[in-house]
Amino acid sequence: MVDVNKVRQIILKDWKVESRQSFAIYGILLFAATTVFIVFKSFNSINPREWSILLWIILLFSGLNAVLKSFLQEKKETWSYYYTLFNPIEILISKLFYNFLFLALLFLLITILMNVFMGNPIRFLPMFISGNILGIIGVSIVFTFVSLVSASIDGSHHTMMAVLSMPLILPIILLSLKVTQVSTGLLVDTSIYTDIWLLFGIDILLFGVVLILFPYLWRA
Amino acid sequence: MASLKSKYQLAWWKWLGVIIMLYVIIGGLAIPLNPGILSITPQNSRTGDTVLISVTGYNTNFLSEKKIDAYLKVDQYYGIKSLYSDALSDNSIHFAFAIPQQLPTNQKQVPASLIINSAVDGAFVLPEGLFIENKDIGRISDNELRQLPEKYFTNNAFRFPYRNILHETIRNTFFHVALWFAMFILLIFSVVYSVRFLITKDFDYDHKSSSYTKVAILYGILGIITGMIWAKFTWNTFWTNDVKLNMTAISILIYLAYLLLRTSINDEDKKANVSAVYNIFAFVALIPLVFVIPRMADSLHPGNGGNPALGGEDLDNTLRLFFYPSIIGLTLLGFWMTEILVRFQRLKHKIYLYHETNV
Repeated sequence: MVDVNKVRQIILKDWKVESRQSFAIYGILLFAATTVFIVFKSFNSINPREWSILLWIILLFSGLNAVLKSFLQEKKETWSYYYTLFNPIEILISKLFYNFLFLALLFLLITILMNVFMGNPIRFLPMFISGNILGIIGVSIVFTFVSLVSASIDGSHHTMMAVLSMPLILPIILLSLKVTQVSTGLLVDTSIYTDIWLLFGIDILLFGVVLILFPYLWRA
Repeated sequence: MASLKSKYQLAWWKWLGVIIMLYVIIGGLAIPLNPGILSITPQNSRTGDTVLISVTGYNTNFLSEKKIDAYLKVDQYYGIKSLYSDALSDNSIHFAFAIPQQLPTNQKQVPASLIINSAVDGAFVLPEGLFIENKDIGRISDNELRQLPEKYFTNNAFRFPYRNILHETIRNTFFHVALWFAMFILLIFSVVYSVRFLITKDFDYDHKSSSYTKVAILYGILGIITGMIWAKFTWNTFWTNDVKLNMTAISILIYLAYLLLRTSINDEDKKANVSAVYNIFAFVALIPLVFVIPRMADSLHPGNGGNPALGGEDLDNTLRLFFYPSIIGLTLLGFWMTEILVRFQRLKHKIYLYHETNV
């Protein structure tokens, strides 16, 4: 049903569009970098707790704009053209994958910058990576869904995006924040693997719902 | 004429809802609590002492009996019987206890529950009311402290249970807890209608779905307000860092965003479609918020962090007689409110269609 080749083509097309208007992607990366630097200068010394919280806050607010853009940039005509070429699930998967890659890149950049400026509190790297990848998958699913919803409204897209997505991603954020804090050695929690599995479960659940709902939303 | 008359008659389930809610409000507020112990002084004692404990009771009838026995229960087998009792009023009584030199435990501070065994009021207890400082640690002969009664009196009057800290606010169970149940039932209906809208594209389902959500939001806000008042009384603060409070606040935010989403789309077709999709997604996202995360964290609520759960000791049969009807009654009233909202929505939709076709 899903043609992997078509999915790859949409991702490549998105990447080409992105690289042609390269100011957008660099703008977001620079935004993240500037925020990290402001945080570094205003805190001076930072402990693991603030480190992990700020990591996620910066990711959320810089990622919000990036994901919303990926749907707003498509014109109405482009959508109708897609409609004739692909089935909705291919589009959804490609958009999800693209947004996931972008958010993961952003996360990597923020982590590296925060490591450079504020030291490295991470002690259990495998847990940090696995927990945060699951978290980013969840965030990209919710962001993709919500940006699609808020792209269809008449008023301010950015406000709507923030209002709709922030409460929805909160369980994911809380869980991945907990995993991050355990991986920095800030918390000791023997049931942390349950949390990681739970994060995985939420991801699967949300992905399933988006998969079912996307065709209805897209047709509109 | 007959049809006109039936048009203004209430449907049977609306009457049922009103009657059930009247029953819950009148019965739930009028039935008194079981007798209980409000406070005792002193709260500390030592082994070897003879203490005079003055007890303040609640809904008690101390004067109606000549002699009331009280027991300091140390553990399952051991207890100290009071020497004499002296009732000052119906709600105030003194007991004298001779605490022996040694207690059958190695704890330094021994918590003892005060049990009052009254023929009129039945037996009632203040758990861990008196702390006895254990000066000589060591075992004594078994028989010396086996003073607990053979049988406790029971009080068969139809009354709500008396719980420490909760006192009269236990009645809020019928409103605060029932509102959440009713809210969830309404949300399930809302999601079902959203799904039916997406399948059939019939606008009537959209009106129903959005109206159910609106009434559910009202119930949610009422649930938070009743909970805040309850929290002020029992936990002495309107808002705590408790996981359930914050998760419900987020769920209310999700659904307020739903309302915002609906107002921000002008095209009816698109509005119905987008809000139905969002509604289903929000409901699914709500499941981990309401059912999973609160179970993982400690909470002050019953059923979490070692607190007894709903259906355990907290919800006894007298409470059940009002709690379950309250859920049904609130749900029926919710259906009624929804119906009024749906009618209003239908009229608005008609006006919208009229303008669409005539402009």
